Amino acid sequence: MRMDYKYIEQLIERYWDCETSAEEEQILRMFFSQTEIPAHLLRYKSLFAYQKSEQEIGLGSDFDKRILEEIERPTVKARRLTLQTRFMPLFKAAAVIALIFSVGGVMKHSLSDGNGAGVIYVHDQFERRSTDPQVAYEGDSVKSPLEKVTEQPPVVGRNHKQ
Amino acid sequence: MEEISFRNDILPLKDKLFRLALRITLNRAEAEDIVQDTLIRVWNKRDEWQTLESVEAYCLTVTRNLAIDRSQRKEAQNMELTPETQELTDGVTPDRQMERDEQLHLIHRLVNELPEKQRTIFQLRDIEGKSYKEIAEIMGLTEEQVKVNLFRARQRIRLKYNEIDAYGL
Repeated sequence: MRMDYKYIEQLIERYWDCETSAEEEQILRMFFSQTEIPAHLLRYKSLFAYQKSEQEIGLGSDFDKRILEEIERPTVKARRLTLQTRFMPLFKAAAVIALIFSVGGVMKHSLSDGNGAGVIYVHDQFERRSTDPQVAYEGDSVKSPLEKVTEQPPVVGRNHKQ
Repeated sequence: MEEISFRNDILPLKDKLFRLALRITLNRAEAEDIVQDTLIRVWNKRDEWQTLESVEAYCLTVTRNLAIDRSQRKEAQNMELTPETQELTDGVTPDRQMERDEQLHLIHRLVNELPEKQRTIFQLRDIEGKSYKEIAEIMGLTEEQVKVNLFRARQRIRLKYNEIDAYGL
């Protein structure tokens, strides 16, 4: 037993000179938290008992609640981000609608290309004719479309059958 | 490195942070305020957690800096440490058990009379059981400076012990 105390005395000496390790200082705190301490060492009890008792000080659980509530607030900030992401479906819908419109436009264009071939043909013909120097040599401008029309029926008829 | 969780890794540091803030400000309400402030600041820096070597050391550094800031702000209306004000700071820290124990009370006063640097080092070493390296990191000092300050703190306590031995309580 006496040997143990010698060790403790030694530790205390080294403690004052800052030569003890954190583990050795823990041994001192443990030693002085015992109920039975030899009289000659009793004077040091308060120092190490104080160190140990100070480890118990802390904040209540209501503090946690308060902090976590406070922390929740930044999620309002985060929600602002989710608001943007919440608009994503809208953007997607708009993109899909735009796609449908453009595809629809192409479809309509190609469909009318097939069905209304006559109209476009005439329009194209008209346009081309307007810049064609050959127009100058042609006779009555009223007659020529009529002539064209008489030439056309077979083509239009074929289209309609299809 | 593992993912750091506020609830599991940082919030449980509150007691340790509170004890450090209390040791510096010697005022419970103020210390609690400082811990709250620390935790919110650390939360707002959550993008940087992974880059920190030790979140605990970081939190302790923030707490200490906030506590020193507040103490300095109070310094304007502050009084010197006279026997009366020493009594005052003791009264502000209510620890029922301690008040019953004259000896513990004496140590408490002794430690709180130390300059802030020594007091903080005493807190981190003798109560939180930190290594010199950790303390140096928290306080932005060299390990040697930490040891010198701790030495002074312990010598002062020892001196008081000898005085008590010679003249009684």
